[in-house]
Parts: sequence; structure tokens; C-alpha cells
Amino acid sequence: MRTNLKRPKLVHVLLLTVVSGLLSFTLQAQVSISGKVTGKNGEALPGISVVVRNQGVGTTTDGSGNYALTADLPAGSYVIDFTGSGYKGSQATVNVAAGVAAYKADARLETDALGLEEVVVTGTSLGTTKRQLGNYVATVKGDLISKSGSPNVLAALQGKTPGAQIIQNTGDPGGSMSVRLRGVSTISSSSEPLYIIDGTIVSNSARRVTNTQSDYGGFISPAPNRLVDINPADIERIEVLNGAAAAAIYGSRANSGVVQIFTKRGSSGAPVVSLSTNVMVSQLRKGVGYNTAPTKFGGPTDGPTAQTQDILTPALTNTTPVTRYDYWDYIFQQGIGTDNNVSIRGGKDKTKYFASASYLYNQGIIKNTDFKRFSFRVNLDQELAKWASLNVGLNYINSRANEKPDGNSFYSPINSVTIIGNFHDIWKRDGNGNLLAVGERGRVNPVSVIEDIKQAQETNRIITSFGLKLKPFKDFTVDYTMGIDNLAQNGQTYIPPYAYNASPGFWGGGLTLDPTLNGYASTGNNQQFLINHEINGTLNKRITDKIVSTTQVGYSLQYERGLYSMLQGRGMAPLVQTVQGASTVLPGSDDRSEISISGAYLQQNFKINNRLFITGAVRFDGSSVFGAEQRNQTYFKLSGSYVLSDEGFWKNSVGSWWDYLKLRAAYGESGNLTGIGAYSRFNIYQASPMVGRTALISPGQLANENVKPETQKELEIGADMSFVGGRVNLTVNWYDKKVEDLLISRFINPTQGYTSLLGNVGSLSNKGFEIALGLVPVQTKDFSWNVDVIYNRNRNRVVNTPQGLIQYNLPAGAVSLLPGYGVGVFYGFFFARDANGNEIKNASGIPLQERGTQNSPATFTPARDGNGLPTGTPLRRVIGDPNPDWTGTLTNTLNYKRLQFRMQLDAVQGNEVFNADFRTRQGVGNGVEFAEKEHRGEIPRGYISTIYAIEEWRIDDGSFVKLRELSLGYSFGRVNRFISDMTLTASGRNLISWDSYRGFDPETNAGGGSTIARGIDFGNVPIPRTFALTLNAKF
Amino acid sequence: MRTTHKWTMILALAATAVTGCKKDFSNPNDATLDQTLGSPVGLTGVAVGIQKLYANGRAGSIYNLVCANGFSTYELSNRNTGNVDETNLFNGGQFVDGNNAVLANLWANNMKVIFDANNVINNAEKLGDKGYASGLIGYASIFKALAMGSLAEFWEQVPDTVGIGLQPKFVARSEGYARAIAALNKAQAAIAANPISADFLSRIPGGIDIPNSIQALRARYNGFAGNHAAALAAAGAVNLAVRSEMRFDAITPNPIFNVSTATNNVFQVRDSTMGLPVGLQPSAADRRVPFYMSINTAAAPRWRINGFGAALTSVWPVYLPSEMTLIRAEAFARANDLTNAVTELNRVLTKRASQDPFGIGAELPAYAGPTTQADILTEIYRNRCIELYMQGWKMEDLRRFGRSNAPNVEKNRNFYPYPFRERDNNPNTPADPAF
Repeated sequence: MRTNLKRPKLVHVLLLTVVSGLLSFTLQAQVSISGKVTGKNGEALPGISVVVRNQGVGTTTDGSGNYALTADLPAGSYVIDFTGSGYKGSQATVNVAAGVAAYKADARLETDALGLEEVVVTGTSLGTTKRQLGNYVATVKGDLISKSGSPNVLAALQGKTPGAQIIQNTGDPGGSMSVRLRGVSTISSSSEPLYIIDGTIVSNSARRVTNTQSDYGGFISPAPNRLVDINPADIERIEVLNGAAAAAIYGSRANSGVVQIFTKRGSSGAPVVSLSTNVMVSQLRKGVGYNTAPTKFGGPTDGPTAQTQDILTPALTNTTPVTRYDYWDYIFQQGIGTDNNVSIRGGKDKTKYFASASYLYNQGIIKNTDFKRFSFRVNLDQELAKWASLNVGLNYINSRANEKPDGNSFYSPINSVTIIGNFHDIWKRDGNGNLLAVGERGRVNPVSVIEDIKQAQETNRIITSFGLKLKPFKDFTVDYTMGIDNLAQNGQTYIPPYAYNASPGFWGGGLTLDPTLNGYASTGNNQQFLINHEINGTLNKRITDKIVSTTQVGYSLQYERGLYSMLQGRGMAPLVQTVQGASTVLPGSDDRSEISISGAYLQQNFKINNRLFITGAVRFDGSSVFGAEQRNQTYFKLSGSYVLSDEGFWKNSVGSWWDYLKLRAAYGESGNLTGIGAYSRFNIYQASPMVGRTALISPGQLANENVKPETQKELEIGADMSFVGGRVNLTVNWYDKKVEDLLISRFINPTQGYTSLLGNVGSLSNKGFEIALGLVPVQTKDFSWNVDVIYNRNRNRVVNTPQGLIQYNLPAGAVSLLPGYGVGVFYGFFFARDANGNEIKNASGIPLQERGTQNSPATFTPARDGNGLPTGTPLRRVIGDPNPDWTGTLTNTLNYKRLQFRMQLDAVQGNEVFNADFRTRQGVGNGVEFAEKEHRGEIPRGYISTIYAIEEWRIDDGSFVKLRELSLGYSFGRVNRFISDMTLTASGRNLISWDSYRGFDPETNAGGGSTIARGIDFGNVPIPRTFALTLNAKF
Repeated sequence: MRTTHKWTMILALAATAVTGCKKDFSNPNDATLDQTLGSPVGLTGVAVGIQKLYANGRAGSIYNLVCANGFSTYELSNRNTGNVDETNLFNGGQFVDGNNAVLANLWANNMKVIFDANNVINNAEKLGDKGYASGLIGYASIFKALAMGSLAEFWEQVPDTVGIGLQPKFVARSEGYARAIAALNKAQAAIAANPISADFLSRIPGGIDIPNSIQALRARYNGFAGNHAAALAAAGAVNLAVRSEMRFDAITPNPIFNVSTATNNVFQVRDSTMGLPVGLQPSAADRRVPFYMSINTAAAPRWRINGFGAALTSVWPVYLPSEMTLIRAEAFARANDLTNAVTELNRVLTKRASQDPFGIGAELPAYAGPTTQADILTEIYRNRCIELYMQGWKMEDLRRFGRSNAPNVEKNRNFYPYPFRERDNNPNTPADPAF
């Protein structure tokens, strides 16, 4: 009792202290400043930063454009800065007088449609405004990323940056993305750009840790790439450097361009808490249908003896009645997901902070698949002295995925259905509850895939950045950045022993259910440690009153350590899911590597009259992956730009309607110093077991100590224009990008003892142009309409290879290199056609393969026999190209008062897809297009088997126009004392696709981020259609 | 902060910049070429690697030998037209071109075997332990001869040599057999001079009897080359009670089983005729048919692979003892010693499974046909086709026994086109045969 009496007293005392403290604080707060920030037509501008200059006090405007701040300011004159991305900055002056507590300061901001005042950061050094740049750098703002309705940064970037073809390779929730900036720029190594987050070089590894056996010679890996770990809600902006002209300053690693991500940082003022939460629903956008013919050819209709490939055995002509099933309906589901973010940003005096926490959970459209991500971030900025400041960033991520095997194996959800006739009752079980075989060929029952095969992976990752900026004396700045990316990824695969005949190739035990083979388990670990140090010095000097010189020197040190290990075994004991349950331990993997790169650069810039800008730079780099003779490389850059519209004559002539014209040209060089593996230059023997002894085998590729990095040389010419008061904005880029000393694993005559040789033996080019057009057809106080158009045209050509044709024999597609054609064209047999382009058919009406004389890989002479039918050698030619003719985006944004509507259409046109699944569906008899017709007798018996080997049959037009994003949002503005802003948005993603594709979705890549194997549809999970409802609130 | 702090920080940054950056990392994952070829342990690993190259997987020599020979001579049926390269071989004629992956593998893999066998043989000669060296030479020469023999069987001309940086000239395929025989003779001499040490034998996979294999292969390739007297002598030197075989386990499974038998999705045996024309087909009583094929009455196809592709760990013979008997029969017949020829032939015809080290036995009555040289040779050919079914030698037998050379009578291809990878990179590659 006594203690109970005492407690309230203590609480009272504490409360009193706090209240009096607050009271005294309020008494000391002398002034409050408030106001409203509006646009050109008086519309309210939310999210504008308002800072009292040199006082470390600030805030941002709410949904109605209003702001209010309180500060302890002695009497005097103060400048208030209003800044916001997309707007030119503005200032207001407040004169604080003794005894007056409240002040008002409004601002009206002009739009900066071309982003001329935006600061872009190249070379991880101090920024320059876009106005000065001689090369094109695209900037995408964070709110466009976070409003895209995708929890994946790269998916969110689709259609938002000129020059980029961003493809979602698979519809898996944690799935793979590939980014191609101005076409592919290499053949043997990755074509993914270099990713830098707040100055830290981060890994975008797509290393497989699950289903590790399905890696076809390194070409195919649709494993998730690790940019999936980044929380889009943390992003302030993304800068995209498309080629060497822009990225030369990154030298050695910039061959495929650079993507720089900047995360949100603190801002002065009272803490602002932002909360967003959403619910997502994902579903299959379009199915492929299934055969509903009432009969099959030949014998048993179900069970372990049923002939699965009746269609491809033309000798079978009798028919048997069957029940046909829809397996697609079984493997797909409607996925539910939620993405929750809370962040707080603020700052006082010399300290600013941003902190966020997020949780994402998203189910896939394949049953029993999902992706989870926890992310925590703290960004801190601290002013140490007038001449020194420090920034620190820390991001911890935990990502987890429940997966199913990907398409490149026949025990994946899609392929297990694709590869069987649909007349098996796959759900039927025997008396012991065991599933039954699906036919006589040892194929995997889709029910085993969905219910029994378990595959999961988890990544723990920390990305840190540390920056120090010093201004030791006037006009001179030194900055130092250190970044660390440390990731540990583990994956597990478990295939329980099958109760039925499954092929040993699918980890089954065959007809006898051999216990030494049946079932599989693996655990894979991928550890990566990346550290980079960058130190830059910048000297600004005004040489005359018209000329300003900026000199930068920099030094960079990068080091990567990798460890990949994998344990695996087959012949699983019942119930044990780990590798120690395996009766046959299979050869594992223990692969370690170290890479280091160091480089230095010098850049000199002259600003003349603030309208003519000239920049020259040179960078020296060295990498450990190349031999001592070849590892040191030099790269040059030169660029110039001229703001013509600043000249007097311009203003007096067309200046009334043509506001702005900048002409620019840039030349840059870059390399791929990480283009080969850490030790790929050495000739080796690889160890493996052989019946109880050790075998040493030399690889098929002969290594070459003298290989050197590829060199890219890019020339870019462009212009930025703005008309009629910023209502029409146009950016045009033309570029010519050449890659020389292309590293190709060139084929050599096998009589050398090897079949290929790694050498700098080819060249390729990417030529094209990009147009970004922004229109504001209507802009009033209450209503605005913005139209944004992006058009990219790229011509990718293999210019030279050491031999005419290089074919890559991949299980899923006939991918080739041929001079004069794009990288990765499809090459193979094709249909015979007459002079009018119509297919030549035999007497039964079945199309025929073209035959004649093959003169060269690309040329041939067809021949006809007496009946006009093809005769001679079967001919081959290029039958498809995965490189599109053009890609484009049309975005319409409409704002009416508090309502916002956005619609984004993405187009990819003029590319082909190697649709392996389409043919398989016909061959095994579940396809609607041909198999059903052959079963129903609508096409001749033997039609499919006759044309089965003609690769052209698998080529589909991959062109599409997609309704990528559709959103409707309503901003409630200030709701009450606590909620300063609230927005509710309903959005949809990948809602409609206009295409003529004979599959789920032409936007697919069974090869994942592969440079060579692109546009192949082989068991890939289709990209879902997603609906989301999102609530954002600020407190 | 004071000025001293300022300079401390700048100096610290400068120090970071001048810190060196190591660029020479050694590879912990693999052995280098020089290390490997310079030590007995390394050479043994490479020699075991040669056996693995020859035996293992879909790219290995065994699979491609059996597949190409089997499709071209009608031994096999095709199970899936989706396997484009196998289907093109099955269709034969002009469908078989330089792009065929089965032929490319047969060509390239055998070149690799020859390349690494040369590495082993040349470096073994430098070793001090001659008993160990003779083991390496004998073991590697078996696979070198098998590889050279396969090339000479399927291509009209074969490369003169194999080596890094070379664009070899080509020589007639008869020269290919001659070189295979020369390599075996050299190995024979090395073993005769220095018997193989027990130490060496403990370091290679069990199953291969090196001395008997060398004699057996000398017999085979002398026979293929038409040196029947030499073949007769070598075959006579083989101990017919001994098995010499390549073994498999769950990690390195039997390639025929793994690719075809277990999947039922690539090839199967054609049927009980073994693809032979009427008159040569096995009789219903021939017990070699059930040895080589099983019957599945439940699911298609009825005739399934058995014999040396029956199971995961089924062994693959380097040669069959009965092949030696048939080589002797043929040599006698060609020398017109028909009595001895029929004697040897009857050893095969009347052999009981229990009498054969591998369990093959026709268990048929003795030969009762006409005793002309031509008839006896035809009966020997027929028995080679049955006794050595799916071993890979039928293409050579068809030619040597003067069977029809017309397209699509007993075969759909006589010689193969040279793989594009060779033609595109070696101007010495000969013209492709028409058939």
C-alpha cells in the first residue's frame, strides 16, 4: 500500500518537470513563420522544402501547400529558401522585429521541366547542375518510383528513363529483372549496369543458391538479382547514365552504364513521420488455355503406362476417349501482399536524420511462393564545423523467398504442366496416399511440384556508406566516401523421394524408384563483401569574370571478396530435408574469389559566361582479373555544351516562344575491368570424382593470359529544348556506341584439344536515338494535364566475330552471334515459302521445311523438285531477333484539385521471342493452337510431328503495348491536428497487354539477366496483373 | 574545430589514397596446367579424367558413339522428335549436317581425350618410376586408341595431330587406325619393359584390365584396318576369361541408362530384329536378344534397352571376350581357313550365358549353313551385329563385310560431315561426303 501511494507522487513530479520544461521552451520560442507555396497558376505545392538560411531550421509544405515553423530567432533579417524537385528555387525575406511573434512568407515557384537546376552527381563527387552537362543524365524522382505499385525498384523504373529497356524476366514475386542501357554492350559478361547507392557500389548478383543444378553453362540464370533487396520507398531519386559518354568518369566498370540511387536524407525542422500501407492482389493476367479434345491417339489414357507423347508418334492413329483437365487452374493462385513503410525525417541545428522501417510480404501467382523483405535504414548528416560535414548511411535488409524451381527445369510449376498431356488425373492417389506417375516417360507430376518440392532462400545484407566533406580553404573541397555492401545468401532445395517413376534427370529414381537416386537436397551459400573508397578533390577558380574553372582529381579503390559453397545429395532418406539425409552425396562446390580495382582520374571543366561548358577528363584503372600486362587501362572523356537561348540574339528573335535551347556533345570511353572471372585467365584442370577416384579434366575453353578488357567508345550528341513557357519540353539524344576488343569465347577447331578460346576478337555497336517529350496541354489552378513521351530506338549489331557464325547450344533456344545482326539472334530451320511468301505444303497440307543449298550462314539458295516441293540440304537462317526495333512510353498525368490520375503505357516493338513452351504444348498434346486441332482431326494427323524440328515454328512476335500503370489518388490534405496529409491511391500494374503472342506474356526471359540468352520463353512464371490500394499519411 | 584537426583529417584522407592495392591473387579453386602435368599425382588425375571424359554423360564418347552409330545403322528407335540432333541422325541423309550436336560432341570429346592422353603419355615418359609410368601410358593409350578408332570409323579423313594453336592437316582414315594401333603397340612395349606397378593400379578406378585391353584393341583396330593376321595374333593373346570394363556409380552413372533407359525419352532399341534385314535377323531362340533388350508389355515401347545400358551402375565393356572370338573367326575366314573360321564362329553361337564373363550367350545350335567363304563371312557379320549390339562398331562392319552401300537400305549414312566448328576454324578440313 505504501509503495502504491508513493508512486503517483513520483509520476506527478515527473509530469510537472516535463510540463514546466515544455512551458519554458514555449516561452523562449520567439517567432513563428507560416505561409503557402503555390505554383505558377496558384495551385498548392506539397512537399516543398522551406529552410531558414544558415539557421538550421526548416520544414516542408503539407498537402495544401501550407507550412508553419517556429524558431528561436533574434531580431534581424532572414532569408527563407523554398526548394522542391521539379521547381526552380525561390527565396523570401523575413525581417524579425522584437515583440512580433508571427510572420508570413509565401512563395510562388516556377516549374523546372527540364530539370536544369537539378544537381546531378557524377563521379560520386560534388554535383553539377544539369544545365552544365555535356552528356545526358536521366533523373527519376523517388515519388514516381514509390507510386509505381511495384515493390521492386527496377520494375518501378520501367518506362521512366530514356534509353533503358527494363524487362521483368519472370513473374516470381522476388523475381529477376534485367536492365539494358542503350542495348547490350558485351557478349561474355554481364550487361547489367553498375549500381551505386549513396556512393556505395552494391552487388546486383544473380547467383543461384537454389535449384543450382539447372545452370546451363552459365548462360541461364533467372535467379533473383539482389537489387530486389532495396526498398523503393527509401529512394529520393535515381540517376541513370546510359553509356560511356556520361559514365566515363566511372571508367573501368561503366560499359553497361551506371545507375545511381540516392536515398532520402533528413531535413531541417520538426520531425515528420510518414506512414504508408498497402494491400496488393496479384493474379494471372492471361492464360494459355488447354486442349479440350475428347480423345487422344493410341493406348492407355492414364496411369504409369499412358503414352504422353501421342501426338509425336504419328504411327498411332486409333483414338481413345479421355478426360481432359485444366492443370493451370491448379498451379496458379491469386496472390495477396502488403507493403508497409514508416519513416521519420527531421533535423535540428547541425544534425539531420532520416530513418525508415519497412515490411513487404507478397505472394506469387504460383501456389506456395512468396517474397518477404524487412528493411531498416538510417541516414544521418552532421555538420562538424563550418568547413567539415559528415554523412552516414546504414541499411539492413532481410529478404526471404519461398520459391518453386524455375522454368529451366522440367520440375518447375509451368514446365511440369507444359511437358505432359492433360489427360492424367494428377490428383489421384493410391491406397497409401501416394501420387501416381504421369505417363511412361518419368515426368514429374505437377502436384509434386506444388505440394512437395520445397525451395527457399534468405538474404541478410548490410549496406553502409560513410562520407566526409571538407572545405579546408576557399574554393577547395575534399570529399571521401567509403561504402560497404556485405551480403550473405543461403538457399535450400528439397525434392522428397517420388512415389512414382520420375526420371533421374528430375532427381527421381526411375522405374525402379532406385533409392540411391530418388529425391534431392541442397544448400547453397553465397557471401559477398564489397568495399569501395573514393576520394575526390575539387578546386573552383574564377579565372576571369567570365570564366570559371573547376578541377577535380579523384582516386578510387574497390575490393570484392566472394565465397560460394554448395552441398548437395540425392537418394533422400524419408522425412529428412537436409543434405545429410542423402544416400548419394553429389560433388559440391567451394568457389572463392578476390578482385581488386584501383583507379585515378583528373577532370577539368570550364564554364564560360555560364552558357558554354567544356569538360575533359582522363581516368586510369587497373584490375586484378586481367594479367599484369593488360590490367592497366586509360579512358578519356570530352564534352561540351552551349546554352544558345541565353544569347542576346535569341532572346530578341525566337525567345518569346522558344524559352531554352541547349546543344551538347560528349565523347567518352569505358571498359569492363570485371568482364571476366577473378581467375579466368589461367589454364586449369578441374577436379571431380570418378568412381571413387579423383579425375582432373581441362575445361572446354582454352584460357588466355593476354586478354584485356573490352573498350567502349561512345559519341553522344543531343539537345534540350523548352517552348511556350515550359509547356513543351523536348530532349533528343543521338548516340553511336562501339565496343571494341570484344571478349568472346570464340570457337576454335576441336583438334586443338579445346573447343573455345577466350580472346579480344570481336566488336559490336549500338546506334540509336532517344526522344523525351513533355507536354502540358492544360494547366490551371485546379486542373493540369501532363503528357510524357519517351521513344528509344536502338540498333544493336555484331560488327565482327572471328568466324561467321557462333551458335550457343542452349536447351531452350537456338541463340547465335552473326556479323550484321543483333546479339543473340535466333538461328535455325525455317518454313519453305513460295514467291508470294506463302508456306509450301505437301499433299496432306502440312507445311514443309526449306531445303536447297546453304551458301553461307546468312545466304542460301532454295531448291524445288519436280513437284515444286523443297529438296536438298535443310537450310538455316536468322529466324528472329530478341532486340526490339524501338521501345516507348506514353504517360498521362491529370490533376484535378485533390484528385490525381496517372496512366502509363509501355511499348516494346519489333522483337521476337523464342517460344519453346508453345511448341512443347503442341508436341505433348495439351496445346490449344495445334494439338487440339490434330486430336479433333481439324488438321492432318502428323502435322505437328512433321514441323516439330522447324525452329521457326517457335518464333513469335514479341511486340507488345502494355497498360503498365494506372492509378487514381485522392489527397485529403490536412485531416486533423495529427495527420497533416493523407492520400489514398488505387492502382493497377500490367493490367492489359496488346500483343499477338502465343503464350502467357511476351515480356519474359528464361535466361534471366543473361546477355546472350534473351527473349526465350521456357517455363517462366508470367508477370502478374497487380491491383493495389495504398494509404499514405504524414504526421 | 581547430586548424590542426583540419590538417589531420586531410592527411588521413591522403593516406587512404596512397594505400596500395594488391592485384595478384592466386586461384585457390583449381590446379594449374603446369602443376598438374608436372607430377605423377597430377598425371594420374588427368588419366582418370580421360576415362571420365570418355565414359561420362551426354557429351561423353560412349553416349555419342552408341547414339550416332545406332541411329545411322537402324539399331535404335527415336523416342522424341523434340531432341533435334538425335532426330536428324535418325532421319539420316541430308538431315545429318555439320551442325549436329551429337557429331560435334563425338568429334570434340574424342579430340579432348587424345589431347589429354598425349599430355599424360608424353609427361609419363619423363617420370623416374617406370612401373608407374608404364601404367599411365598403358591406361591413357586405351582411351587414346578408342578415340582415334571412333574418328576413323565415322569420318573419311582424320586429323594428322591434335594440339593447342594448330590447324592440323588431315590424313586418310586408314592412317587413323594405323596410328591407333601404333599407340597401342607403344603402350604394349612400355608394359612389357616395365610391368605396371600395384601402386598405380590402386589409384585408378577398378575394372580396367590394362594388358588385356591393349591386346584386344590391337585386335579390333587391326581387324578394322584389314590387318587380319595381326588381328588374329592379338585376339589370341587376350585372356577370354577376364573382364575389362568401365564402371559407374550414382555420381557418374552409366550414360546410356541415364540419358535414355531411365528417361525413355531419347532412344530405345529398335525391336527384336535389331534393325537387321530379313535373313540376318536374330532367331527367336537367340538368347542374346533378351540380354540386350527387355520387354515392357504395359507401356510403349514394347522393346526396351537392357544389356550394358540396363541400370545406373551397369558396366560398359572396353571389349567383349566374344568380340575376340569373332575377330579370330573373321581372320580365319578371310584367309580362307574356313574350318577354323566355323570353329570360332560356333564358339560364339553355342556359348551359354554362364560361360561368358559378361553373361552373353546365344545358346544356339552350331552353324549349319553353306560353307562358302561368303556365307561364313555373312554369318560372322550377323553375329557381330547381334553379339556386339549397341557397342558402336556396326558402321565399320557394314563397310568391311561389303553390305549394301546404298542409302536407306541397311544404313542412312555412310560417313559423317565434318562439324562446323572444325570447318569454320581449320581450312584443312576436307569436303563433306555426299552420303
